[in-house]
Amino acid sequence: MAKRILTVDDSASIRQMVAFALKSAGYEVTEAVDGNAGLTQARSQAFDLVLTDQNMPGMDGLTLIRNLRALPQYEKTPILMLTTEAGDSMKQQGRAVGATGWLVKPFDPQKLLEVTRKVIG
Amino acid sequence: MTSVFENVLSPAVYFDRNFGIEAAKILPGEYYTTSREMLIVTVLGSCVAACLRDPVTRIGGMNHFMLPETDESLEAITGLPTRYGTFAMEMLINQMLKMGAQRSRIEAKIFGGGKVLHGFTVSDVGARNAEFVRHFLEVENIPVVAEDLLDIYPRKVYFFAQTGRVLVKKLRSVHNNTIIERERDYSARLRYQEPAGDVELFS
Repeated sequence: MAKRILTVDDSASIRQMVAFALKSAGYEVTEAVDGNAGLTQARSQAFDLVLTDQNMPGMDGLTLIRNLRALPQYEKTPILMLTTEAGDSMKQQGRAVGATGWLVKPFDPQKLLEVTRKVIG
Repeated sequence: MTSVFENVLSPAVYFDRNFGIEAAKILPGEYYTTSREMLIVTVLGSCVAACLRDPVTRIGGMNHFMLPETDESLEAITGLPTRYGTFAMEMLINQMLKMGAQRSRIEAKIFGGGKVLHGFTVSDVGARNAEFVRHFLEVENIPVVAEDLLDIYPRKVYFFAQTGRVLVKKLRSVHNNTIIERERDYSARLRYQEPAGDVELFS
C-alpha cells in the first residue's frame, strides 16, 4: 500500500509542487492549508510522514509539530519542516519541538524525494 | 549559498527629496517590507515587481525578480523557473505575515516584464516573468488590483507602501545601459546557482 504523506502549507503553489513531486514517486498525498487544518487531518487519519511549512496563518509549523508530538499516534512519525527559514535558532527550535529534519526552500524535488525515502522508505 | 536565495533586505534606505519621504531602493533579487510611511522604489527592465499590501494593517512590500533562463516551461510544476519564482514571491509574503499582515487580505499591483533585453536565450524573458507572476497570484487567490506589464520600455516604480499608491514612470529614453547590465548580471547569477536550500536530518 502506498505510504501516506500530509503536506501543510498556506501557499497553494508550494502544495501543488510538493504533491506533484511526491505523487509522481508513488506516494499518496493529502494537503492542508495551515496548522489547524493539518492537525485536524492528522487526527482524522494516519499519515506516515508530515511535511510542514513554518510561517502560516493561525497555527505555525512549530506549534503544529508540538501538538502532533503530544498525540500518541504521532509520537514517532517523521515530521519534516519545509520552510524559507534558514536560521540556526529556528532549526534548534524545530529540533526541540520534535522535528525529524529541516528543508530550506527553494526545495529541490529530487532532494525532497531522497529525504522522504530515507525517513519512510 | 550565495546572495540570491538568501533573505535579502535592501540596505539602500535614503530620504527622497521629491516626495519628502524615506525611501528604500531595491535591486534585482531583493525585496523590502515595511509598516511605516515609506516609499519603495525600483527600476525594472524585463524583471517584474509585485507590490503587495494588507489594507487593514497597512503593511506593504515589494520584490524585484526574474525567472532563471532554462529550457523548462512554466507548465513544469516543479521546474526551476516555477520553483525560483514561487520562492521569490513567498519570501516577500512570509516577511509581511511575520510583521502582522493577513494573507487573506493581501492585494497586489504588478509591474514590469518589458521586452527590453537582447541576446537572451529565451526569446522574451519579460513576457515569461509577467506570465509567471499573474499565474502565481491567481493560484494563491491574491487579487491583482492594478498592473502595468509587458511593452518595450523600462519602468521606474514608486510604491507608497502604507497607502498602496503606485506611480510608474516609463523610461522612454535611457541614457545608459545600467538597467540592462544589472539584469544581465542577475540572470547570470541565477543560471549558475544551485536552486535548492539546505537539507538537515536531526537524528
